[in-house]
Amino acid sequence: MNVLIVEDEKALTTEMELFLQANNFLCEICYNGATASEKIATNLYDFILIDLGLPDYEGLDLLKEAKKYNPEATCIILTARAAVDDRIKGLDLGADDYLSKPFSLLELQSRMQAITRRKFGLKHSVVALGDFNIDLTNRSISYKDLPVSGITKKEFDLVAYMLLHKNRTLTRSQLSEHIWGSVVNDDYDSNYIDAHIKNIRKKLNAYGTPDWLETVRGLGYRININS
Amino acid sequence: MVIVVLFVLLLPVLIRDINRKYTDNWLHRQKDKVLKTVRSQGIEKYIQNDEGFGSYNTLLKEEYVSMDVDSADRKIDTIVNERRLVEGDTIQYRILSHNFKVGKKNYLLEIGKSIDTINETTTPLQNIAFEILLGMVLLTILADQFYSTYVLRPLGRIIRTKLIGHKFPLKTPYRKVHTSTSDFAYLDISIHKMIQTIESTFQKEREFISNASHELMTPISIMQSKIENMFGREDISDEVKERLLEFQRILNRLKSITKTLLLISQIENEQFLKDDSVNLLELLQEVYDEISIRLQEKNIQCNIDVPAGWELEQVNKFLLFNLVFNLVNNAIKYNKENGSIDIVGKLTNKQYVLEINDTGVGIDAEQLPHIFNRFKKFSKSLQQDSFGLGLPIVKSIAEFHRIKIEVSSDLNIGSSFKLIFPADSLKKEE
Repeated sequence: MNVLIVEDEKALTTEMELFLQANNFLCEICYNGATASEKIATNLYDFILIDLGLPDYEGLDLLKEAKKYNPEATCIILTARAAVDDRIKGLDLGADDYLSKPFSLLELQSRMQAITRRKFGLKHSVVALGDFNIDLTNRSISYKDLPVSGITKKEFDLVAYMLLHKNRTLTRSQLSEHIWGSVVNDDYDSNYIDAHIKNIRKKLNAYGTPDWLETVRGLGYRININS
Repeated sequence: MVIVVLFVLLLPVLIRDINRKYTDNWLHRQKDKVLKTVRSQGIEKYIQNDEGFGSYNTLLKEEYVSMDVDSADRKIDTIVNERRLVEGDTIQYRILSHNFKVGKKNYLLEIGKSIDTINETTTPLQNIAFEILLGMVLLTILADQFYSTYVLRPLGRIIRTKLIGHKFPLKTPYRKVHTSTSDFAYLDISIHKMIQTIESTFQKEREFISNASHELMTPISIMQSKIENMFGREDISDEVKERLLEFQRILNRLKSITKTLLLISQIENEQFLKDDSVNLLELLQEVYDEISIRLQEKNIQCNIDVPAGWELEQVNKFLLFNLVFNLVNNAIKYNKENGSIDIVGKLTNKQYVLEINDTGVGIDAEQLPHIFNRFKKFSKSLQQDSFGLGLPIVKSIAEFHRIKIEVSSDLNIGSSFKLIFPADSLKKEE
C-alpha cells in the first residue's frame, strides 16, 4: 500500500515512516505543500496523510486536490490546530478521518485499517484464537460455536485493538488512549485497563482458558497468534 | 433625616420660647407705658389714698394691670408664671412685677397676661411651622427623586450596562450612553477605554494559552511517536522498555494538561458548535457505561433517577459528555469504598436541575470558592493523581451552555453538584 505523508515536521515524518514501513506500507514524504501538490497530481496513492499546518499551503486546498486527482485514496487529516470548524470543513471536503496531534502511531494504523475495511467492505472477518472466535464484523466472541455473553463494548474494543496489533505488546497508555481517547479528564495515569482485562479474562474463563491473552509483566498486554 | 426629626421634636419648645419672648416684650412695653403715664400725670391717676388699682378685661380676664403701695424694700423687676385670684376665678398668668418709687412711697406694678391666651397663639403658630416644615420635606424628597431619576439617570445606566452587566468577552459593540452632561459622557468613555484595555489583555492571554498549547502539541507528538517506535523494537530489552514506559507516563501527563488547556481555550473562544440534541438520560447512560469500571473498582453504587424523554437542545454533545463525565468521575475519585452516587434530575420552578450527589470526603468550606480555579490543587486532589483541571473544564463547558452550577458540601459526608439548565434548553419529548 502506498502512503503519502505531507508533514513539515521532519522528526515526526521519520517516526511515521519507520512505523508504517514496519507494517508493510510504502511511504513517500513531502515536507511542503507545493511538492505534495505535484505528487498528488501525478501519482496514485492508497493513503494520503495531510498535516493542516503547512507553512506554504492551505492544507484544506491540498485535500481538495487529493479528492480530485486521487479519488480512490483514503485521506486522513493530521493537525495540531484542532479548531473545530477545521475538523468539520475537512470532513465536509471528503476527508475520511481526522486525527489531532499528538496521536499514537498505533491509533493511526488502526484508523487506516478501519477505513479500508469500511470502504472496500472486506469479507466477514472472524479471527480464531485457540478455541475462541472473534467476529470483528458483528463484534462478538464465541467459544466453540457458543456465544460468550456479557462482553461489553469497551471490552470488545480492547480485544479488537490488541488483535489488530497482534504479537505486539501494547502499553496501558496505548490501550487507554484508544478506548478513552475522546474523554478529556483530570487523571493522567489511570490504571483501569487492568480492571478491564481482569473482567475480560473472568468472562472468557467461564468457557475456556484464553491463553492467547498475555500479561507482559511491567509493560502491558498482548495477544499472541502463531501463524 | 436626623436633622428633620430633631427639628420636629424641638419645634413646640422653640415656638413656646419665641412666644414667651414676644409676651415678655409686650409686658415690658405695657410697663413702660404705665410708668410714662405715672411720670407725666402723677401716681394719682391710678392710686388715691393708698387704695390699690386694678384693671382687667372684664369677661375673659385675659389681661390685667394692678398697682398698689408696696411695703417691701427690695427692688423687684421679674416676670414669672403665677396664679391670681380674679373675681373668684383662679387663673394662671404670666406676670411682670415691678416696683418703683414715687415721692416717699414704694409702689408695686403688676401686668399679667393669661397663659391660656398665650397658648392660643402658640398652637396655631406651631401648626403653621409644622406645615411649612412638612412641605419642605416633601419638596426635598421630590427634588431628590427628580434628581436621581432624571439628572442622574445616565449614571445609573452607565453602572448597569457598562460595569455590572459587563461580561467578557465583549460581544456587543460600544454603545454610547445618552446624556447631555459632559461629565457623564466623560465617565462613560473612560470606562469604555478601561474595559477595552482589560478586554485586549484578556484576549491576549487567551490567544497565548491557545497558541502555547497548539505549539506544544507537535513536539509532544514527535516524542510520543519516538517512544512508540522504540517500544515496538524487538532488540530492546524489557528493562529499557520499562524505563520508556516511565517516560511515556510523564509524557501522558504533559499531553493531558496541554489537551485540557487547549479544550478550555477552544470553549472560551467559542470554537464549538451548539447544534446537537441530546437525550439527557441516554447521555447519563453513556457516561455510566464509560465510567462503570471505575465504580466497580471502589464498589460504589451509582443510582440514576432521571425521568426519560428529556431532550437537551442546541448543545454540544461532546462537551456535555465531558462535563458530566468529569463530575461523576470526581464523585468516584473523592468517594469512599462502598460509597454511593445519586444522580437526580427534576423540574423545579420551571428549571431543570440535575444533581450529582456523592458520599465522599467533601470539600472544606474555605476551599469551596476556589474549586473551579485552574491548577488549584488541594491536599485531597494530590492523592488522586489529578492536576487540577477537571472542574475548570466543567465550569467552562457549563458557562458555554449557560448552565448554572451550585455546589454544597459537608466534610466527610459528601458533596452535591447541581446543574441548573436554562429554561429554554430542555424539552420534554411527548
